Amino acid sequence: MTAAALFQSVLASLPEIIVVTGACILLILGQFVRKGQEHLLVGASVAIVLIAALATFMLASEVRPAYTGMFIADRFAVFFKFVFYLATVLTFLLSRKYADIEGIGSSEYYVLLLFALSGMMIMASAIDLLSIYVGLELMVLCTYVLTGFLRQERRSNEAALKYVILGAVSTAIFLYGVSLIYGLTGTTRLDGMAAAVTGDPLDPGLLLAVVFIVAGLVFKVGAVPFHMWVPDVYEGAPTTITAFMSVAPKAAGFAVILRVFLNPLVAASDIWIIVAVIAVVTMALGSFVALVQDNFKRLLAYSSIAHAGFAIFGVVAGGADGIASVMLYLLIYSFMNLGIFGTVIMMRNGDFSGEVIEDYAGFAKSHPGLALLMLVYLFSLAGIPPTAGFFAKFYVLVALVERGFVMLAVIAVLLSAVAAYFYIRIVMVIYMREPQRVFDPALTPLVRATLAFTAIGTLGIGIFPEWFLRLAQGAVFGG
Amino acid sequence: MGFPLLSLIVFVPAAGAAVLMLMRGDDAVRWTALGFTLLDFALTIAMLTGFDTATHEMQFTEIRPWVPALGITYALGVDGISALFVFLTALLGWICVLASWVAIDRKVKAFMVSLLSMQALMLGVFSALDLFLFYVFWEAMLIPMYLIIGIWGGEGRVYAAVKFFLYTLAGSLLFLIGVIVLYFQGGKTFDILILTAQDLPFPVQSWLFFAFLIAFAVKVPMVPVHTWLPDAHVQAPTAGSIILAGVLLKMGAYGFLRFSLPMLPEASMYYSTLMLALSALAIVYGGLLALAQDDLKKLVAYSSISHMGFVTLGIFALNLRGLEGGILQMFNHGVTTGALFLLVGLIYERTHTRSIADYGGLMKAAPVYTVFLALFTLSSMALPGTNSFVGELLVLSGGFAANLAAGAAAVLGALLGAAYLLGMYGKVALGPAKVTARFKIRDVSAREMAAILPLAVFVLWVGLYPKPFLDIIDVSVKHLLVHVHGKGSGQ
Repeated sequence: MTAAALFQSVLASLPEIIVVTGACILLILGQFVRKGQEHLLVGASVAIVLIAALATFMLASEVRPAYTGMFIADRFAVFFKFVFYLATVLTFLLSRKYADIEGIGSSEYYVLLLFALSGMMIMASAIDLLSIYVGLELMVLCTYVLTGFLRQERRSNEAALKYVILGAVSTAIFLYGVSLIYGLTGTTRLDGMAAAVTGDPLDPGLLLAVVFIVAGLVFKVGAVPFHMWVPDVYEGAPTTITAFMSVAPKAAGFAVILRVFLNPLVAASDIWIIVAVIAVVTMALGSFVALVQDNFKRLLAYSSIAHAGFAIFGVVAGGADGIASVMLYLLIYSFMNLGIFGTVIMMRNGDFSGEVIEDYAGFAKSHPGLALLMLVYLFSLAGIPPTAGFFAKFYVLVALVERGFVMLAVIAVLLSAVAAYFYIRIVMVIYMREPQRVFDPALTPLVRATLAFTAIGTLGIGIFPEWFLRLAQGAVFGG
Repeated sequence: MGFPLLSLIVFVPAAGAAVLMLMRGDDAVRWTALGFTLLDFALTIAMLTGFDTATHEMQFTEIRPWVPALGITYALGVDGISALFVFLTALLGWICVLASWVAIDRKVKAFMVSLLSMQALMLGVFSALDLFLFYVFWEAMLIPMYLIIGIWGGEGRVYAAVKFFLYTLAGSLLFLIGVIVLYFQGGKTFDILILTAQDLPFPVQSWLFFAFLIAFAVKVPMVPVHTWLPDAHVQAPTAGSIILAGVLLKMGAYGFLRFSLPMLPEASMYYSTLMLALSALAIVYGGLLALAQDDLKKLVAYSSISHMGFVTLGIFALNLRGLEGGILQMFNHGVTTGALFLLVGLIYERTHTRSIADYGGLMKAAPVYTVFLALFTLSSMALPGTNSFVGELLVLSGGFAANLAAGAAAVLGALLGAAYLLGMYGKVALGPAKVTARFKIRDVSAREMAAILPLAVFVLWVGLYPKPFLDIIDVSVKHLLVHVHGKGSGQ
């Protein structure tokens, strides 16, 4: 590698380098932060992400391949990186008070989140199965630890253990698929795979390899049949981490899935049938099981499974609009899901957990403003206009119908009618029940800012979707 | 593009809702809500005065790009059919505010905000010229209506609210798929006028017809997807019932007029017999159910099913008299049934019972009230001189021309209507004075009079001199018929 090429590579991966370096510095300096000064940690972490975002923005003007075909900084990656930045920064803002209450406010917490962020960024930019693997592992190792961060709580430990074991299995499956691909084609580069296939592109060996890779990735986005860990892990993890995991790593998983599916080799195979089945079953399972949940975090876990299913419909649709629809879906989902999790996190105060749905009875009476915010997020999750959630679903349906999958679109909307029921059930508890007890939400300025920001996103994208739609389309067409 | 009158009409109530959110004090909230709805009403009168009845073209059109990447525009406009319903919605808007003046005594602000947002969305539905925009308005209505029934309703309100929500949502989602299919069939546009002008192959029309039918039939509601209506009506507060009966039910029929007939003419003609049969079934079945009710609100609710059957019967008779009658009946039903729900609400506020058996001899205690009750009861059973007579006569003559059996069923329904309405009036107003023995009943107050009187005026106005109302819709209906028959017969 010449010096110039090296420079180009470093430049292309500058945002990742900033995050990793920043995290390392924070790891050292964090030891000197005294108790009660944790806001410095939040400030520093947010600053690191913002600098990385600035670097990403400056470099976004052109496509920059790097590290001899392992890595690329294109508009597709930029779009996803901004979703990750958004999710991470909002998680930081939500964490400050919550970490205090739970006693987990050490610097490692923030450092691990930053490392997870860098892993996701690598995933978004990776165009080689090996660099995908590196990013993936960097991300999940951090989330394993973060899941178990409530060391005093058995639930949290259990969740972490379950996550590690199942995660390791899924990684093994993924790696097996990678090795098969390498054995059959002699390359791990995504763009080289199709060219390297010598015989029939529908070789069953190749199909098997792709199935293994997809299975490994499907685990990360929590789709059926690899969804079993989601409710337990989401319930056991600190709520801030649940919020983070339901958005960012899921988006990262989709980034890789989309990259893999952009590959002509995969496009030529009949894998989409499998993916369509996964989408239907995932949505059905998520929607129906969520109906009977009493724990808010578990309900949101199943809701996130259902949403993953809906996003996979966009993958099935494929084509430029299909991919753009998944990306827009993930962006909008980040806003509304972090918003609803923000309200759950804010309920954690004193001896109040905010995890049982019954806790919210009569919330509209005591806190009308916050209840209205929850209403907006919940209707958005249910996909009712004029919220952004409707537009997200609408665009996926447009992509499906465009490709002629009208039946799939009908199934998708019918299942989302089922899903709407459990969201309006929460609205019902909030608005139509009498309050059981007095509660005092942990409303710090940072939490307020997060809720306001996510609400603006949830309503704003719904009413003025054009700019965001162009952004997503540009990331596919122009990338 | 001149003065954005339609946008103003749609967004004045929305602005009112926003202003209300910042206000304190129940009375201030009530007066402000009334002010905004009256302003909106004045604007719709301005629209009707400027309305050109000589053309079927869309008027007061406004077109602005909204999501150009998907061909979505912010397009508003009215023709004769929609102008009538824009007017009706604005009329019932301030009547609803008056109707809930004392009936709603908790969370007044939230209620008025919901009511005004509801009005904005309904006005949007009737004036949208872009399918996407239409769908956004159509579906967003679920939120305030769900809250109105669920928070301020009667004892079984939560069940009724959820049932209403899920029925309507499930119906509308299939409509959404239909809309997207249309979008691609029409060359990636949501423009209602462009979509109306194109010819779709019959199989596509067929599928779309049923996708639309499910959504619209739930809203109308047609038998057998009507079961949410009695629940919603009985549980909803008075203003909620007025909106439901007065405007919301019209949206399904409006959907047939704006989408099914003009965009799917062949399928509409092909399946018209089926639709006539369903309408006849609704007329008779709704009438029989109403006959069996003891609850005043339920009686009016089931009579709505029967009356809306007349509307769909008129529409799918697919001839001039039927269509004009159906549309006029939609307006009449909004006025008459809205007034009946208002009257039921007024008496319920005083006695807290809706059971017909509890009443009797009301005429002595509240003479003015019973006079109004008589007027609207007679109007509901289509006595000559009242508004429904004109509409029902047109529907019947159109219905007989289209299908003898359907016309005969409609006559049977009209007889049933006379039976349950007269029976109800007799038990409530005449007879031994049961009710005065238990309650001290005040007669209609000035505020209540202000809400009822305008509706009474419309009952007699349309009944005695329907020409101005028929003039508004006439050209548009004729154009629609020529369009449907021209394209529908496979030219």
